[in-house]
Amino acid sequence: MATILTVDDSPSIRQMIKVVLEPAGHSVIEAGDGAQGLAKAQAGKLDLVITDLNMPVMNGLELIKALRKLPSAVGMPIVFLTTESNDTVKQEAKSAGATGWITKPFKPEQLLAVVAKLVRA
Amino acid sequence: MSAMDPTEIFRQEASELFEVLEGALLDLGQRPDDRELVDSAFRALHTIKGSGAMFGFDKVASFTHEFETAFDRVRKGEIRPTQELISVALAAKDYIRALIENPQSTDDIIGEAILDDLKRFVSSDQPAVAVVEIAEAPPLAPGGSKQAGWHLFLEFESHILRNGSNPLDLLEDLCKLGPCFVVPITDGVPFLDEMEPEDCYLKWDVKLHAACDKAAIDDVFMFVSDEMKLTLSPLEHVEAPVPAPLLQLLDEEPALAAEMPAPTVEAPVVEQLVAKAEHGPQAQPEVKVEAKTEPKIEPKAEAKRDDRGIATVRVQAERLDELMDRVGELVIAQARLTQLASAGSDLSIKMIAEEIERLASSLRDTTMGARMVPIGSLFGRFRRLVHDLSRDLSKPVEFVTSGEDTELDKTMIECLADPLVHLIRNAIDHGIEDTATRSANGKSEQGRIELAAVHSGAQVLVTVKDNGGGLNTARIRAKAEEQGLIAPGAALSDHEIHQFLFHPGFSTAQTISALSGRGVGMDVVKRTIENMRGSIDLSTRPGQGTTVTLRLPLTLAIIEGLLIRVGEGRYIIPLSAVEECIELTAEDERSRGRNFLNVRGNLVPFLRLRELMSSSGTPDQHQKTIIISTGETHVGLVADQIIGNHQTVIKSLSKLHSDVTIFSGATILGDGTAALILDVAQLIALAQSKVEKQHISEAA
Repeated sequence: MATILTVDDSPSIRQMIKVVLEPAGHSVIEAGDGAQGLAKAQAGKLDLVITDLNMPVMNGLELIKALRKLPSAVGMPIVFLTTESNDTVKQEAKSAGATGWITKPFKPEQLLAVVAKLVRA
Repeated sequence: MSAMDPTEIFRQEASELFEVLEGALLDLGQRPDDRELVDSAFRALHTIKGSGAMFGFDKVASFTHEFETAFDRVRKGEIRPTQELISVALAAKDYIRALIENPQSTDDIIGEAILDDLKRFVSSDQPAVAVVEIAEAPPLAPGGSKQAGWHLFLEFESHILRNGSNPLDLLEDLCKLGPCFVVPITDGVPFLDEMEPEDCYLKWDVKLHAACDKAAIDDVFMFVSDEMKLTLSPLEHVEAPVPAPLLQLLDEEPALAAEMPAPTVEAPVVEQLVAKAEHGPQAQPEVKVEAKTEPKIEPKAEAKRDDRGIATVRVQAERLDELMDRVGELVIAQARLTQLASAGSDLSIKMIAEEIERLASSLRDTTMGARMVPIGSLFGRFRRLVHDLSRDLSKPVEFVTSGEDTELDKTMIECLADPLVHLIRNAIDHGIEDTATRSANGKSEQGRIELAAVHSGAQVLVTVKDNGGGLNTARIRAKAEEQGLIAPGAALSDHEIHQFLFHPGFSTAQTISALSGRGVGMDVVKRTIENMRGSIDLSTRPGQGTTVTLRLPLTLAIIEGLLIRVGEGRYIIPLSAVEECIELTAEDERSRGRNFLNVRGNLVPFLRLRELMSSSGTPDQHQKTIIISTGETHVGLVADQIIGNHQTVIKSLSKLHSDVTIFSGATILGDGTAALILDVAQLIALAQSKVEKQHISEAA
């Protein structure tokens, strides 16, 4: 199935994503911040990136912009996690190149639904 | 298809539904809590009822309605499906089937008795339920006519693809809401040299035929709502998902079709099309006019589509046969062309000939593929057989099938039904021991029969395996001696002894049960399989069971053959039967009259085809021997020349030649002459009978 990178400074969030997506047949790669995430994205082909916005070293917005400059990431769906339902953040992330978002807190089904929406067999 | 009577189509559909229903009911016997099965039985019933009423099977509709009503309590989980209830339900299913297939033979009294039985099982405190609901039949109310769906116009910002959203995925999601008719608008697409490969230029016009909430549509586009223009308006009038006239246009006016924007029709739409095509006449516009005067028809037709997952088109079998014939002729003509082209020096003709050869062979494969039917359709029938037999004989039997999607030529599937019935019946009747014997031998009381199909090279293996007592070799031997088939005490391997089971009139059954004596013996099974150019083999382990293996070729219409020459005549030997080709040595040649070859220490009887065909002229100096076999027995055939492999399109011999035994058919060669196809089984039998005669004359 799909290779999915989850970028988040919170290990519990990463674990939650892993626990939900791996049984669905995806392989999940983890990164603790934007810089690590970028390195992982440069290292191999990904089908989807799920990233937090507030992170140390390199934040989500910077990561999204950097990813969009990678030739290998053209057309790759990027989803960001946000706690705020406020539209400015969404707008900012979208114009940086994000494909979609998941509002925290989220249920496993919501995560799966978004992944299914963006990753095709 | 249009010439077909819609009633006939209903009958066909109903017969498929009966299989679904029967399968679900039988499975329910084993997994009474499986909601899926109850639902699937219910769906089948519902469709039979709806369609039955539409095609004038009023009795079917009313009976099925009561059946459905009675069964409803099972669906609601109020009562559990017991074995008794399932038996009654099966009887009810059989009754409906009879109502459709052979109404004269049915009797209302039987129907009422079955319904009474059903009601007795399902009713406890509310006996009136069924009666009350009957008043509501016919069941389906005309569909909602207020709003039939949505008309969408989609325009995305050009960078949408780069940001990871794919409009095609979104369209796919949209199609999940209901049948969509999608037309891409290509006006915005620039010339190739101006095109930015990562930009989205297409716009889409979508008619969504589902009265879903606007929220559901918004949900599809939730991530891209700010990067697109979505114009949404309700579709008001009821319209077929794809207007039929458009289809006709595409069919009849290729020029017009070419002018239209290339329609991206999403998969569900294709399925809809196919479903429409399958329903034939009633999907055509003239019938729809009638539909307006009788508004019930439309929604019922919709209901029929429920479970159509796989996109299939039903084609009359004869058409496929015809197609195969034409392709066969094409292959022959192509062989002639290839021969002519390779003899000449014109390079361009050679190239065309090669191209045609490639096309013809892929066309042949495709056509043969179209004739292939999954064997599962056949397996399904046996579940009932096993269920009934195991009940009648009081031998609990677990029936396991595998390889249902293995494909075989449809003609063979039809021919396989009777032999398999016989084998399964044998397995239960003779193979599986009674429960007392089984438990005495430390086996589980429930016997097990496995029916499996698997591909093996160019063959399909079908096995019927039981875990019963195995063959009683001693008893078979005694019987063979009693019938004078072998001399008492003759040295025979177990395998050889088991072959007597295929002898006509050979039966070791000590008691004749009601199930035996249906006129199909193991000899008939063997003959049927061999007529399909297949073979049958038995293996058995005392106390552990018996396995019968049928080896079948994938198709009947075309075989790989070995082309040989005998005198002036040319013949084909099916390549599957050819073991090896050796030269007839001078020593073998001298052994005239003995007719045995020494093949690596084994004595193999051989037949001189020149003698058999009464060929005139002098034989070639170096005679060749082709060793053919069916399973264990090997026979050599002596010919003048081995020409080589030949794709053989089999033509059957005319009625006038029906008494010719050593040929199974004929084919036409590249140069237009005919070659006869040798019947391997018959030749082996002939060689063996010669050997036996020789033994007798030597003994005398």
